[in-house]
Amino acid sequence: MEMELKVNQDNCLGCGVCVVACPVNASISNEVAGGHGSKTTETIMMVENGFIKLFSPEKCTKCGTCQLFCPTDAIWLE
Amino acid sequence: MISNTKEVKALDFEISRSAEEKRELLYKDDICIGCGICEKTCPVDAIELGSIGAIVRTGADVPKIVCDEDKCVLCGMCSVVCPVDALEFKIDDESIKDMDEYPQLINSAEINDDTCIYCKACETACPRDSITIARDLPDRSKLVTGEIEIDKETCIDCGICEEMCPADAITMEHKLPTPDDPTVSSDIIVDKDKCVYCLICKKSCPVSAIKAACRTCSYGEYDLNPEDYKTTGSSFIDHETCVKCGWCQEICPVDAATVVKTFDGELSIDQDTCQACGACVDICPCNVLSFPESTKAGKRPEKVMSDENYCIYCGACESVCPVKAIDVKRTGIKHTPTKSKSWEKQIESLKT
Repeated sequence: MEMELKVNQDNCLGCGVCVVACPVNASISNEVAGGHGSKTTETIMMVENGFIKLFSPEKCTKCGTCQLFCPTDAIWLE
Repeated sequence: MISNTKEVKALDFEISRSAEEKRELLYKDDICIGCGICEKTCPVDAIELGSIGAIVRTGADVPKIVCDEDKCVLCGMCSVVCPVDALEFKIDDESIKDMDEYPQLINSAEINDDTCIYCKACETACPRDSITIARDLPDRSKLVTGEIEIDKETCIDCGICEEMCPADAITMEHKLPTPDDPTVSSDIIVDKDKCVYCLICKKSCPVSAIKAACRTCSYGEYDLNPEDYKTTGSSFIDHETCVKCGWCQEICPVDAATVVKTFDGELSIDQDTCQACGACVDICPCNVLSFPESTKAGKRPEKVMSDENYCIYCGACESVCPVKAIDVKRTGIKHTPTKSKSWEKQIESLKT
C-alpha cells in the first residue's frame, strides 16, 4: 500500500528543514544539502513565499525523513 | 463447498480457502521486518510491500505488506522464504514448516546453557529483544565469612553504624526515652545474611562497641564452598522474532551462542551518494548500520557505517534507501531440498 506525501500550509512555519533534510532533494541539488534551500523546482518540495509547496512529489520514495524533522507536522506521509 | 474468507485483525491478515483441504496464510505485522523478500518471491505478484521507510520511522498505522486476496493462490512460498516468522502457511491446520515436502530456509540461533555464564550481554545486544536470560545470583552470605557482635552494654544507641552500613545489615529499634527506660533504642540487630564483614561499623563506632572480623582477611575461606559462588540460570530465545543476526554470537564472552545464517552475501554503501537521512539505520532489523561519531574536531567520518558480522542480507536497507546508495548482494542461500523445480528456481532467484 503506497503512501502519499502531504503538506498542510496552515501549519507550515516556512523553516525549510524538510527541504534540507530530504535525501532525494539533496541528491537532486547539492545546494539544498548545504542549507541554502532549493533553487530548482526539480526538487520534491521547496519553500515558496514562506510556505512549503510540493513541486515534484512523484520523486518521493516515502522514507519519512521530512516528517521526522518537521517541527509542526506540516508535512507527512499517509 | 469452496469459500474464500478474509479476516483482518488490526494490521495482520489471514487469507484462507477451504475445499478438499484447508489452506491458510497468516501474517503478523509486528514480526515483519519489511525486507520485501516475500514480494520478490510471490509467483503471482499478490504481495505488495508498503512505504516501509515511512511506516517504520513514523509509526504509521499501516501494515508493512498487503496481500491481494484475489491474486493469492495460497501456495505458501512467501512463508518459506520469510526470514522471520511473519508469514505462516497452514494446510489443514498444520504449518508447512513441519512438513518434509516443503523446503525450509536453514538458520538457527542457540545458546548453550552449559557454557553460558548468564552475563546478559546477548540480552542487551539483541536488536529484536528476542533473548531473555533468567538468572539466580548466589547468596551473598555464602560468599563471605566472618564474625560480628555488638556489645549492647557499651553501645550508646547513636545509630552511626546503622547509617554507615553499606549492606543495610544493621537495624536499630529507635524509640523515645521514658523515665523508667531512659534510652533511645530498645534493641540493635545485625542481619548476618546481609553483613559482608567490611568492618565499616566497627571503625565508625565512637565507643568501640562492635567486635567484628572478616575471616577471609584473617584466616582464609576454608568454610566457604566454591560451588555456592555460581550464578545459575536459563536462557530463552524467542524464535518467532529472532532474525538470526549473530549479535549474541559476536558479543558472548564465552562462545555460548551459535548462529547459523540463511544468506551469504555482501553489503556495500556508496558514501558519495548517501545523504545520511538515516532511513537504513532505522529500518535495519539487525542493528548493522550506524552513524559514526567524528573522532576529532573538524574530521569528517563516513556518513554511515556497517558491520557485516550482523547482516542477514535481507535487503531492507537497500529497498528503503531513497537515493539507491546501498547494494545488498545475496550470493548463497541455505535451504532444505525440494523436489519442485519451480520452487527451487524461485528460491534461487533470491540470489543477486
